[in-house]
Amino acid sequence: MAKQLKQGCTINGVIEFLTTGCRVYALSQTDSNYHLTSDEKWESDRHMLGPHRPVEPLKSILFPPRQGVGRLLEDAPHSSPKPAAVIGVKNCDLASLKIHDYVFRDTEPKDPYYIDLRNNTLIISCDCSRPCDVCFCTAVGDQPFPESGFDINISPLPNNQYVLESGSEKGKKALDSCSDLLEEASQDAMKARDTARKAVYKTVEEQAAVKGLDGNKNYQNAVTGSIESHLWERFAEDCVECGACNFVCCTCHCFLLADGRSATGTSERVKQWDSCLYKNFARVAGGANPRKYRAERLYNRFDKKFNFFKKVLNIYACDGCGRCIEACTGKIDIRDVLKEALDEA
Amino acid sequence: MKHNPYAALPATVENIIVETSNITTFTFRPEEPIPFKAGQFVELSIPGFGEAPFTPSSSPAVNDVMDITIMRVGAVTERIHALSKGDTVGIRGPLGQPYPLDKFKGKEILIVGGGVGLAPLRALFFALAEEMDHYKKIILRYGARSPGDIVYRNDVATAWGKPKVDLMLSVDKGDEGWKGNIGVVTTILEKNKLSINIQNSVAVVCGPPIMMKFATIKLLERGYAPENIYLSMEKNMSCGIGKCGHCRIGPYYACKDGPVFTYDRIKDEPRIWD
Repeated sequence: MAKQLKQGCTINGVIEFLTTGCRVYALSQTDSNYHLTSDEKWESDRHMLGPHRPVEPLKSILFPPRQGVGRLLEDAPHSSPKPAAVIGVKNCDLASLKIHDYVFRDTEPKDPYYIDLRNNTLIISCDCSRPCDVCFCTAVGDQPFPESGFDINISPLPNNQYVLESGSEKGKKALDSCSDLLEEASQDAMKARDTARKAVYKTVEEQAAVKGLDGNKNYQNAVTGSIESHLWERFAEDCVECGACNFVCCTCHCFLLADGRSATGTSERVKQWDSCLYKNFARVAGGANPRKYRAERLYNRFDKKFNFFKKVLNIYACDGCGRCIEACTGKIDIRDVLKEALDEA
Repeated sequence: MKHNPYAALPATVENIIVETSNITTFTFRPEEPIPFKAGQFVELSIPGFGEAPFTPSSSPAVNDVMDITIMRVGAVTERIHALSKGDTVGIRGPLGQPYPLDKFKGKEILIVGGGVGLAPLRALFFALAEEMDHYKKIILRYGARSPGDIVYRNDVATAWGKPKVDLMLSVDKGDEGWKGNIGVVTTILEKNKLSINIQNSVAVVCGPPIMMKFATIKLLERGYAPENIYLSMEKNMSCGIGKCGHCRIGPYYACKDGPVFTYDRIKDEPRIWD
């Protein structure tokens, strides 16, 4: 049952209540960008829900850039992580959880490090109210507002009103616990939410259309059908192999299982983000490299996103967040690559 | 904590046999037995330094110790070659899928090895030899660069020469003492060197990529169906459990779905031989 704020209650008050005792990740603003920042508790003068997704992907919390996975040859000391709450998660990042859940939680052998963080994190998502100009989620079958995958979703409406909805048992319990602050959402509020959602959807749809993309396109056929095309070499000319596209990507899950030694000399094993654009990503010890050329590596990135995951999970591993467009040093725009692939397939 | 798939089991170096100038077989004794099936691999680690995938070369029937034959080709294998008896390493596994021996029953098994590629095939050979009654015969064709590059020299010369085993070696370049075939391994797959009922046979190939490529071409030419050619795909494996993304071949991960694939499953993927 959808809820709204009771007279005199504020959304910040509700969030503060919901996140009591949690380490809080929420959005904070720097210039025109929003960043995913962490604090010991929710502070409404520092934190906000944000109008669109932050620079940092949600995966940086559940699948950290560098995470210790035990000391080799010793019992890994392990304590459950402190309960956390992420506030203001947008639907692109929620959708990316399908990829990470599949890789780390639902496929044997399971990754206990991911599962612990996942289970200990309350996800409070939020509708997009003003998409980034690089957003194109509607063109890859997603939408700028969550309907599943969250614990609690918050839809901001005009006049400081909000609709809150639970999407899991955990979320339902949490919302039930703040019944003093919430009441059943009115029909007007639900209508206002519907109107706001449609408007934002249309905005994203229109900006994707300018790039020649829409939700009816078959990107799997486009990518696999253009494997012989020179488009990959052309775009790869601008790639400087920095890996930024992989690191900001909300779905990219590749990592290196690396061994090293700590300052005190103990051996440490870490899971560390890796990039498929790096030259040696697929190289074997003898020197053979199935993806010697940058164009092959760029193609591989698209093949993984639009072909591999379509085959194994029936979804694209791209949620149209547009982060890679902003991060790319060589100004490669994933929308342009997809458009050319569509044209050439 | 739940089972940690990234954690390795300590193992001690128990024996070291130098095979060739750059290939050595190590016998490891893990803290607990690591039961594996032929075709499966393990990740072997030097604590605090690095980890690399290897297929055991000893019999899967033996659990308490494990032979791994290792060629010195990179940073990790360099460190492994510097190990002495009594040193401790980490072993994680077994990983990957075994050879489907049930499908091999009643057949003539052609094993084609090249160089250090004979290592995983040795484990397969032992597994087959354990239940020889189930198989029509085993035909082993092994190629090495020179007589000095032949691994398991004593094994291949004598112990493997059992009834129902047809063994032939070839070297790219012979020496004064060499009486056997000279030429790349495909030369001993020709009709005059290999008499086999192809319709009732499976071929198992492991070796350097270039050798696997030409052996596959030869086997197809001789009439093997792609689904009866088993290839060991060497890819960059980091996690070994299908999560880190490095060893992808089309819709598969070499570590999780392989490392052995029948040719029909991978033949349409780009650059499989690199």
